[in-house]
Amino acid sequence: MFNGLFRKVRGNKTGSGEIAKQRLKFALIYDKLEISDDTLRNLHRDMVEVISRYFEIDQAAFRLDIHRSDDFSSLVVNTPILSAKRGSPD
Amino acid sequence: MDGRIIVITSGKGGVGKTTATASIGAALALQRKRVAVIDMDIGLRNLDVVMGLENRIIFNVVDAVKGKCKLKQAAIKDRRIDDLFLIPASQSDNKNVLSPKDMVQFGEKLRREFDFVLMDCPAGIERGFENSVAAADEAVVVCTPEVSSVRDADRVIGLLYARSITPKLVVNRIIPEMVEKGDMLSHVDMVDVLSIELVGLVPMDDHVLISTNTGIPLVLQKKSKAGEAFQRIAMRINGATDLPIEVPQSQDRFWKKIGSKLGLGK
Ligand SMILES: Nc1ncnc2c1ncn2[C@@H]1O[C@H](COP(=O)(O)OP(=O)(O)OP(=O)(O)O)[C@@H](O)[C@H]1O
Ligand SMILES: [Mg+2]
Repeated sequence: MFNGLFRKVRGNKTGSGEIAKQRLKFALIYDKLEISDDTLRNLHRDMVEVISRYFEIDQAAFRLDIHRSDDFSSLVVNTPILSAKRGSPD
Repeated sequence: MDGRIIVITSGKGGVGKTTATASIGAALALQRKRVAVIDMDIGLRNLDVVMGLENRIIFNVVDAVKGKCKLKQAAIKDRRIDDLFLIPASQSDNKNVLSPKDMVQFGEKLRREFDFVLMDCPAGIERGFENSVAAADEAVVVCTPEVSSVRDADRVIGLLYARSITPKLVVNRIIPEMVEKGDMLSHVDMVDVLSIELVGLVPMDDHVLISTNTGIPLVLQKKSKAGEAFQRIAMRINGATDLPIEVPQSQDRFWKKIGSKLGLGK
């Protein structure tokens, strides 16, 4: 009982358990941002295919990268366009 | 440099390999050695959170082994301890992306850059174990005073001998009160059964959980019995072979001893 009282008085926010929870939130988000080479290769192939329906592109120069910084990750796609395709893609 | 590669392994899961790798690595770096700790648990990384470096990861060990980045890019410098570096596991691959042959080559690079390289081996004796052991010169087997853990340790020790590695034993999670009551295997029993050289005894210690919570190395926590034990293990690995092995003691026993020194009690 005294233990509980003591904890209430002291407040529980400073304990290492609270730190653990905060760190976990970030770690779990971070883990989910990681992408394997296979997935990246598949994405690359699919994107080239989709974009090629609308544009004539230089497939060899197509670049797909993941950029990471401390606060966010981004998917960066870079492709030279040779020309737009006219009419409906289908 | 001509570094030593040491694999930290156990067979059984959850006995303290990752805790030992982080702590011995940190202790060696505090002894002014250039140290890399490598998380070989591909797909289930953990060493990064234990060391509090989880938000620094850009490249990982798979990238480094496959040559997708330089070794230096994959080695994350510790926040608190100079000369300590973490090479994290990748979270999105599986263990088969690396082969023992890859690891032997990678080991050559590591030896040139570091004095000590500690490989945090995954549980089990499959591919992850093979990869972790492939480049190793030495091994530390972590074992808890439990029948299942000792049995698995015996199996792993056999596999290490087959690779001409003579492993050393760390007994972890010792509860002195239980050993004294005769309800826990003692380290003497374990050394006897496994017939292998002992390198240290680590007691059960709440500071281990607190250290994992905060990401602050166990060996920097004041008054941590487990932290002190790991520091002594690191000293022994680093050449102080005649440093005596300290046996964890219960508080009870401690006060009785002091009492008898002072001529009190019986
Ligand atoms: N000396 C100790 N005192 C108290 N708790 C400990 C001690 N050593 C390890 N632990 C705890 O035991 C658990 C397992 O430890 P750890 O993750 O280091 O084991 P592992 O062998 O790396 O596990 P895995 O096989 O899953 O990789 C963790 O919760 C850790 O905090
Ligand atoms: Mg582990």
